[in-house]
Amino acid sequence: MLKIIKPVLFALSVSLVVAACSDNKAYETSYCTMVDISGTYSSQKKSVVNIVKAGILPQMIPGDSLFFVKIDSNSYAEENLVTKLTLDYRPTQANSQKLTLSKTLDKFGSGKARSRLTDISGAMMLCSDYLKKTQSGTQIMFIFSDMKEELPNGVKRNFADDEFEGMHIAAMNVIKLKKDSNDPEVYRKRLRKWEKRITDAGADNWSTLLDATKIQEFIDQAK
Amino acid sequence: MESLYLFPKMPGVSIAIWVVSSMIFMFFAREPMHKMIQAMSDATAGGLRKMASWIRASVEAMREKDRKVLLESGVAKIQGEILQEFHRIDTANTKSVSGYPELQLKLDENIAKIEGDYKECGQVAPEAPGWSEVVETIARAQGSTGDRIIEKMLGEIHKSAVSGEKKALSELRDVAGKRHKILGGMAPVWKRIEKLGKEINHKVDKVIENSRNIDRYMDQYEKISTGGSESIDMLSSKVTKLFIISLIVICVGMVGAFINFNLIALPMSELVPAGVRVAGMAVSEISALVIVALELVLGIFLFEAIGVTHTFPQIANMTRGKRQIILYGALFGLLFLSSVEASLAILREHLAEAKSALDRSLAGESATIAENIDSNITVIGQALLGFVLPWILAVIAIPLEMFIEASQHAFAKIYTIIITVICHLANAVAFLIEGFFKILMHIFDIYIIVPVQISNMFKGKPASVS
Repeated sequence: MLKIIKPVLFALSVSLVVAACSDNKAYETSYCTMVDISGTYSSQKKSVVNIVKAGILPQMIPGDSLFFVKIDSNSYAEENLVTKLTLDYRPTQANSQKLTLSKTLDKFGSGKARSRLTDISGAMMLCSDYLKKTQSGTQIMFIFSDMKEELPNGVKRNFADDEFEGMHIAAMNVIKLKKDSNDPEVYRKRLRKWEKRITDAGADNWSTLLDATKIQEFIDQAK
Repeated sequence: MESLYLFPKMPGVSIAIWVVSSMIFMFFAREPMHKMIQAMSDATAGGLRKMASWIRASVEAMREKDRKVLLESGVAKIQGEILQEFHRIDTANTKSVSGYPELQLKLDENIAKIEGDYKECGQVAPEAPGWSEVVETIARAQGSTGDRIIEKMLGEIHKSAVSGEKKALSELRDVAGKRHKILGGMAPVWKRIEKLGKEINHKVDKVIENSRNIDRYMDQYEKISTGGSESIDMLSSKVTKLFIISLIVICVGMVGAFINFNLIALPMSELVPAGVRVAGMAVSEISALVIVALELVLGIFLFEAIGVTHTFPQIANMTRGKRQIILYGALFGLLFLSSVEASLAILREHLAEAKSALDRSLAGESATIAENIDSNITVIGQALLGFVLPWILAVIAIPLEMFIEASQHAFAKIYTIIITVICHLANAVAFLIEGFFKILMHIFDIYIIVPVQISNMFKGKPASVS
């Protein structure tokens, strides 16, 4: 009996140790930030870059990833990815990576790129693809846009039921258009429509952040 | 409900028929019903009572085991103390006895000196007195003879007698002076003898005191070995006190360990960067934890080698040389780890400063603000903390041993209290269940009271259900 118990116990202990060893992914956070460069919102690029630098980058810890995507007329394309970064596990390396990224973002903020139409859904789908690939435990999307979508002819954007499964999505710095100021209900209806689309696609939560100081709170809640 | 009515148009009659038929049925089934209720009571309340009695037996067994452990550990402790006292006495006595021959020699020397002096006093005999009578007789005889020659002779004799008397007196004075001198020389010797006597008294007092300590320990030993409730209570109180104190000290130590861990966890991620986690902890955090644990282990070995703790009998039984090797090894290890921690603490401060500067620069603030802050004090403070904390952690080895020793009794006591409460609860629930089934039986009997009374009337029995 003892001869059988001993190897079983040994096997159990080994499997327990192996099971206890896990990949870091589950403890990491991936961020995808989308910036609208169409119409009136293109003037916000610089302030968006500042918000990302001051609000999101300091929250990132070694192992975290960031994807920076621009929203233009047809956003579901690889070239829409402005920059991406996965922080090194060494804090000193991570710091220098953050500095390099900040320079890239500054360059983007001072650029003159702008588009005619706004494909927010395409950018979100692109972000979803990148975030899913990271397999991080927490996946967060920030949309910097007026949330008014204008798709070119022939472009279809239907979210799958699990498109944003397990993701935390927030619309940041949503500026109000002239029509919104005339009738706030137009603005609210637009946001409600987005909330329904996104939660129907499996997102864990949807928020509209009016203040950049709320970013940390949102990230902490998501974690 | 209405489907159960025999006469749907007369619900009252239907219900009455149902009640009467159920009464008749239950009257005939009363014996098996009683048995069933009793069986249910036995199964539930009886089970609980059995459980309570098993718990009571278990508590008793645990108490007895704990009592034995307490007694044995108490006896062993007292034995150890007596042994230690014997060693102490042995050392003290050896010291005293080793000085005794010298003391005796000194005493003998002094006594011999006094004896010699005394003999010397005896040897210096004074001249016999009597000169004055001779001188007086010659003086009286002078002038009585009338013969000039005899008178002259007597005069000469008188003269020589007077001078002889003077000489004898002066010799006597000399001898007396010599004797006084010898006796005066004996005074310091007496003082020395007195001092030696006091020394002997002091040493004898010490021996008596030690023997009194042994008597006290022996009394305690006898009291404990009899295993009376008083001695058990005393031992239990001592062990509980030890447990609480050691627990408090260990908790404080754990807080220190937590601070220590936090001090080195961040810089360790710079040294051990890895994307693997074990049980939810990053490898760098585990490395920091291992360092903290190693400090504790080295502390245990250090105090074990010194002989303060006795957790490992193998170390306690080692020769002095081997224990010294362990002692120096542990000391070196602690010194090494505390130096590593001090450097990690400095690295931590640099990392924190770099992150803070980066965050400020990302926020668009001027980086010069960081330069204005003189953080040398912080760096020195953290380095000192990193160096000192391992040594403080090492000291936890002492209360840890106390905790391990006392925990067996403390946990047994807690376990006993918990299961005693369960035992009382089980008894209380069993009592309630028994009461419930008794009430149920009475309700049943009340329900069938009419057919029972009718049956009794027919049988000619007195009106009683049972």
